[in-house]
Amino acid sequence: MADQKDEKKEKNILGGIVGFFRDFTYGMATHGMARHALKTRSSMEHLFILITMGDMLGIPILPPYYSLRLLPHVVPQITTWKRRMLREKDFVESMY
Amino acid sequence: MNSLWVLLFWLAVVVVGYWIYARYVGKSVFEVNKDRATPAKMYMDGVDFMPANKNVLYGFQLNSIAGAAPIVGPIVALQWGWVPALLWLGLGVFFIGWLHDFSSAMISVRNDGETFGAISYKLISSRARKILLVFIYFYLLLIAAAFGHVVTSGVSGDATLPLPMLVVIGVAFLVGQMIYKARVNIIATTIIAIALIFFSIWLGTVWSFTFSYTTILVCVLIFGYFSSILPVWRFIQPYNYASVYVVYFGIIAGVLGIIIGHKPMTLPAFTSWSIGMGPLWPILFVTIACGAVSGWHSLVSSTATSRQLENELDVKPVTAGAMFAEFTIAIIAVIVCATAFADKAAYVAKVSNPAGIFVSGLGGAITSLGLSMGYAQALAGCMIIILALTVINLVFRFMKVATAELLGDAIAIAKNPHVATIVALILTFILVKTGSWLYVWVLFGGANQLMASLALLLVTLFLVKQSKNYKIAIYPMFFMYITTVCALFYTAFFKLIPGAFSGQLSGAKIFGNLLSAAFAILLVICALILAYDGWKAFRRYRTGEAVAPPAGAERATA
Repeated sequence: MADQKDEKKEKNILGGIVGFFRDFTYGMATHGMARHALKTRSSMEHLFILITMGDMLGIPILPPYYSLRLLPHVVPQITTWKRRMLREKDFVESMY
Repeated sequence: MNSLWVLLFWLAVVVVGYWIYARYVGKSVFEVNKDRATPAKMYMDGVDFMPANKNVLYGFQLNSIAGAAPIVGPIVALQWGWVPALLWLGLGVFFIGWLHDFSSAMISVRNDGETFGAISYKLISSRARKILLVFIYFYLLLIAAAFGHVVTSGVSGDATLPLPMLVVIGVAFLVGQMIYKARVNIIATTIIAIALIFFSIWLGTVWSFTFSYTTILVCVLIFGYFSSILPVWRFIQPYNYASVYVVYFGIIAGVLGIIIGHKPMTLPAFTSWSIGMGPLWPILFVTIACGAVSGWHSLVSSTATSRQLENELDVKPVTAGAMFAEFTIAIIAVIVCATAFADKAAYVAKVSNPAGIFVSGLGGAITSLGLSMGYAQALAGCMIIILALTVINLVFRFMKVATAELLGDAIAIAKNPHVATIVALILTFILVKTGSWLYVWVLFGGANQLMASLALLLVTLFLVKQSKNYKIAIYPMFFMYITTVCALFYTAFFKLIPGAFSGQLSGAKIFGNLLSAAFAILLVICALILAYDGWKAFRRYRTGEAVAPPAGAERATA
């Protein structure tokens, strides 16, 4: 029983070390790329919402009929969209 | 002294600094609380504000802060001897460096993930943000010139490097194409990229080319232009991705080389209180910036990292942990160079080509692993040039954005990315060709350290405002501020301006000296204005005066 526990503990330690190096390498090599991909998607999303929901900002690009048809699809994004659009942005943010 | 003992001693310093001092400051001063919601959770938007695993963030932070500076700074500072260099690195990181990175992230975490521009606007004054932007622009220009020379002198001075560097750039395009366009599996892409790079390093040792300094400098600037103009996914990211593995390998090989080879430190432990660049204080303290303390880290900590922390307990391992890791890289650089050279005069003669020194140092250490000297040196050369190019491929992009931000409203053409990039490239070309690199390096270090002292000023104001023990930040801030202002002042008025009027320099060099001196004076003026505003804010907070935030400083809430 005690041996099994020790073995399990050793496996956990080994798993922890492997997990650390896996995450660390991901962070070093790929995390920045993943973040940039998300930023690109979010700017496309901003554009999409602006085109479809321009009415909200007083820019009627699309006839209101279609905006209303699309509204249910956009609703889940509205909170984070507002947050991103209204947040004060700084030059330093463009760096990272 | 045996280099292995030196490595072990400073690793013990890391252990004490990280597990005792950092824990004390976290608990007693900042009262880190794992239950307090971080901006990543409060304002999660799936993009900028998003919680990430602390190990991932640790890798991200280290990758963002560690370039070639923790290697080049110590190499230049070895002119004073390896003891002063190691002492400043160790004491600097222990008392200031990690604290600076940690507290920069903490104040951003406690201010809803705001950047330094916004925090300085709120805590110091409304003009602080504008001054910070001007300061950062010239700081970036000095970075471009300092690292532009490192790459240029390294590649033009070593015939084995042009071919592998060309291949690395080609591999970056290939990786971008494979991952984003052809959708090739990332593991297969990585294996192909690594194999091509390591093969090209070998090929460079048998098929070498020599180019003039100016030719390589123009190539570096063209590289900077494309980095600035092309989409990030097309070049910068694949380049950084492919280069990580070479740097990874170089660092591991360096540590193993030191442990297996454990050569004696052959350079003099101490040479003189004053060398050609100037006296030990204050010049050594700005010559070594990254590795001891660096203002750049505060920009990273307070922007990207602070918005991704899952809880406050992660701030220490991510920021302080990355700082201590960078310190370890600097210690490796000191050891490999101090064990590779015995003759001080030969070392000083080579110091304006730091990549060349690193090639001899790390190359020598790696041979302990059984690699041939030629391949080991080429690998070391590639490692430092790749690191320096990661700085170059970001800096012009940042300068482009800074130009648009600074001048965009007044001059419409400043918003044009090509124009803004070309202006930055021309300024860099002029500074590299006409300036004296060692002084440009001092100015870059000075700007970096001034940035650090300004970050510590913000930390001090934050702690005063919160009625916490601000003394842990104010003393390091005073030290960094006085040292760097003195270093910039000394370099401008005792080296650059007298040098320009000594009658010994050519016309171009006179211009370069005066231009560098003007940058130094400008940085000092910016720092003095910020310090004056900071002092006024400090008195306000100290007396408990109610302060209304500047107009428009309120956060927009969803």
